[in-house]
Amino acid sequence: MTATTDQPAVHHHEQDDSRGRAIGSWVKGQYALYILVALLLVATITRGSVFWGATNLTNLLLQMSIIGVVVLAELIVVLTGGIDISVGSALGLAAVVSAGLFGGPSVLLALLVALAIGGAVGVVNGWLVAFRGLEPFIVTLGMLALARGLVYAYGNGIPINPEAAASFASLGQATFVGVPVLAIIWLAMVVLIAFLLYRTVWGRRVYAIGSNKEAARASGIPVKATLWSVYVLAGLLVGLGGWMFLARFASGTSTAGNLLELEAIAAVVIGGARLAGGYGKVFGAVVGTVIFAVIANLLSLLNVSTFLQDAFRGALILVAVTLATVQFTRRRARTSTPASPAAPSAPATR
Amino acid sequence: MTTAQQTDRDATGPAHGERAFRARGVKKHYPGVKALDGLDLEGFAGEVLAVCGANGAGKSTFAKLLAGVETPTDGEIEVTGYPHPVRNAAEAEQAGVLMMHQEPLIIDDFTVGENVWLYKLRQGKDIRPWARKTDTNSARTRQVLQEVGLGHLRPGQSAGDLGPGQRQMLSLSRAAVTQHKIMILDETTASTSEEHFKDILDLVRREKQAGTCIIFVSHRLNEVFAMADRIAVLRNGKLVRVLRAAESDPDEVTALMIGQALKALARPAPAQVEGTVPVVSVRDLHGGAAHGVSFDVHAGEIVGLYGLVGSGRSSVARSITGQRKAAGGTISVRGEQVHLDSPRAALSRQIAYLTEDRRLEGFVKDFDNGQNMSLVVLPRMARAGVVDAGRERSRVRELIDDFQVKGGTKTYTRSLSGGNQQKVVVAKWLETDPDFVVLDEPTKGIDVGARANIYEIIHGLAARGKAVLVVSSEAEELLSLCHRILVMRNGRIVQEFDPEHASTDDLIRTALSHQD
Repeated sequence: MTATTDQPAVHHHEQDDSRGRAIGSWVKGQYALYILVALLLVATITRGSVFWGATNLTNLLLQMSIIGVVVLAELIVVLTGGIDISVGSALGLAAVVSAGLFGGPSVLLALLVALAIGGAVGVVNGWLVAFRGLEPFIVTLGMLALARGLVYAYGNGIPINPEAAASFASLGQATFVGVPVLAIIWLAMVVLIAFLLYRTVWGRRVYAIGSNKEAARASGIPVKATLWSVYVLAGLLVGLGGWMFLARFASGTSTAGNLLELEAIAAVVIGGARLAGGYGKVFGAVVGTVIFAVIANLLSLLNVSTFLQDAFRGALILVAVTLATVQFTRRRARTSTPASPAAPSAPATR
Repeated sequence: MTTAQQTDRDATGPAHGERAFRARGVKKHYPGVKALDGLDLEGFAGEVLAVCGANGAGKSTFAKLLAGVETPTDGEIEVTGYPHPVRNAAEAEQAGVLMMHQEPLIIDDFTVGENVWLYKLRQGKDIRPWARKTDTNSARTRQVLQEVGLGHLRPGQSAGDLGPGQRQMLSLSRAAVTQHKIMILDETTASTSEEHFKDILDLVRREKQAGTCIIFVSHRLNEVFAMADRIAVLRNGKLVRVLRAAESDPDEVTALMIGQALKALARPAPAQVEGTVPVVSVRDLHGGAAHGVSFDVHAGEIVGLYGLVGSGRSSVARSITGQRKAAGGTISVRGEQVHLDSPRAALSRQIAYLTEDRRLEGFVKDFDNGQNMSLVVLPRMARAGVVDAGRERSRVRELIDDFQVKGGTKTYTRSLSGGNQQKVVVAKWLETDPDFVVLDEPTKGIDVGARANIYEIIHGLAARGKAVLVVSSEAEELLSLCHRILVMRNGRIVQEFDPEHASTDDLIRTALSHQD
């Protein structure tokens, strides 16, 4: 093309990479998997026969299905560089309203109500974040208090039992080839979100916005509309989670989804997503979900007091996040990003 | 000069001519790329050592290694007076290496004065929390600002309001208030325009007198020759030769940089514009720093827009491409008046804008080359919103070959050199097949070899009947590239030049004069 002799040292070097090395480097990055393996080892050694029993595994799956759906909602928000701390309250609101509205006569109607509630929360959150330019943290903090307050007001603090409680209960216990239906719903959502994020234009836009909003805007990406759609989708997932909660417990308690935001954010971060946005994988979020479910399960199998369980969970978050930074700095030292803003000579910028 | 000149030697400063650093067998390998492959280089106190090279020759890598930002894969860099090889940024700072980054380190929420004294906040020996902080509004601060041509700024004003050139000069002002033996200017002049260059020269002269070894990493050869005593030319991670500036000339250095003589660039045939409807026609445009700008761009025509920083040239470029909303005036595309209130609207009118700020707006930092190149045209590679991965991959491979981008589809764009990043951005936009292309400082931070590539691409655009507007602060670039040059001053177009009958001098004089 021109008189440049600047021969590239390696052209298309991704093709030269042996497949084995690619897998090797992938395995190296999956520290969340190691935590999971370690947990499973501990479980096998201490309570192996009970832990791997069919009853416990079913329980475990049911436990992680609900939070798993919420983790997916949190993941897509975190990918845009936002955060949603209202997921727990919104799930509670979806659960109680779908249990109580019209007396809760049918499972299907409850699903529509739950999706509408979750979607409405997402519409408001997303509109304030995308079009009003407010901080996601503050917006969803307000929504957290608002939705939880409505939950208490709606049921006066008393659990709401839907008319169709029996069909909810049977749905919660239903299995398909041995797998709980709720878990199948969760896995379907995992596949759906992975498909949307990795294979669609929308997914590419979500990553672009999270990584560099200015470049996304300058490239003609509808930043605001995409952001909004992310929060709405997250709301719908949370609504689905509320409906699944109802199916599992056949009752809308006012503490439904309490502190769920904590676990959802932690699972996303343990799964390797970057809170600043632009980086994170569905697989990691799933592993994070499983880690949290396993640890809760294991702690109750070990008869650890519920209060101490929370402490364990908190400690796990700290350990996992620390591990993540170790991994991250090592990766950076190797591949080295020249555009890194973390310049050495200005400690004051941190 | 490298000969010992025992002049003006202060008590603490090193003697002129004494060795300031020595790099021995330095290698830096990234996955798939050997950025530096065995470099031996010495620098001496009181001299300016320019480090030149084409894209990816390793010059910026060398600067980063010397400043301890990165650690060599092999070999070592010794700084005179420091007991062991420098391993990280903190050690480099203790050893007396001052790095001036390409992107100036300015804290927007601090005042100008606080930014001058920023490095006093470094964790040194004195970490008493109750230690008094430096007075950031002192006479000394004002003097320091004066010395770098920022005398008109108040130390108390917010640094966030400064323009790019002023930010760079502000970061340079820190040289006067820090202790250092080696100062690295890493493409420092890239974001400053010609008006600040004199201040940088003054600064370098003062530093030389104080016995600092100055490393000037650049590919603007006229500036290199105005400043340097010795010139180290790198190519493909290796040192080609070290020249004495006084005994060499830009042609020789260019030839060494790219390995062979650069082909002279032939200006494309003048476009036939008589009687045709202009592709873009701007009337009385207001917005930002622009106050009433009117011009036309015809198909097959390359129009240059020249002006100093703040003259409104970037405001014009951004307003006519939907990057910012115009406050007034009309823009017509092929005779039809349009409202360009977003980049999306501009895109739908086949208008592309190549930003001046590649890192901020040009590409997505967590995306690889493939994802960045397909970002704008992705909907076209998709059916019902689902991306056709195979089609995307093959198209991106073609683009990487066409534009000679170093690295593959999976290489992160952020890890490339400036020139290769720009090629990715150019490929991304040209893939939209625009009718009207606006390039804002297309060769900023780009070396000679890649420049020629970019110029050829621009000429190719015009030859294919596209309308092109090039915004630049380099008069020479516009003179060799354009069919017509518009010069802006204080938000207006003040004169139009035919590059055949104009010189660099004419353009700068017109842009500078203070008649209105």
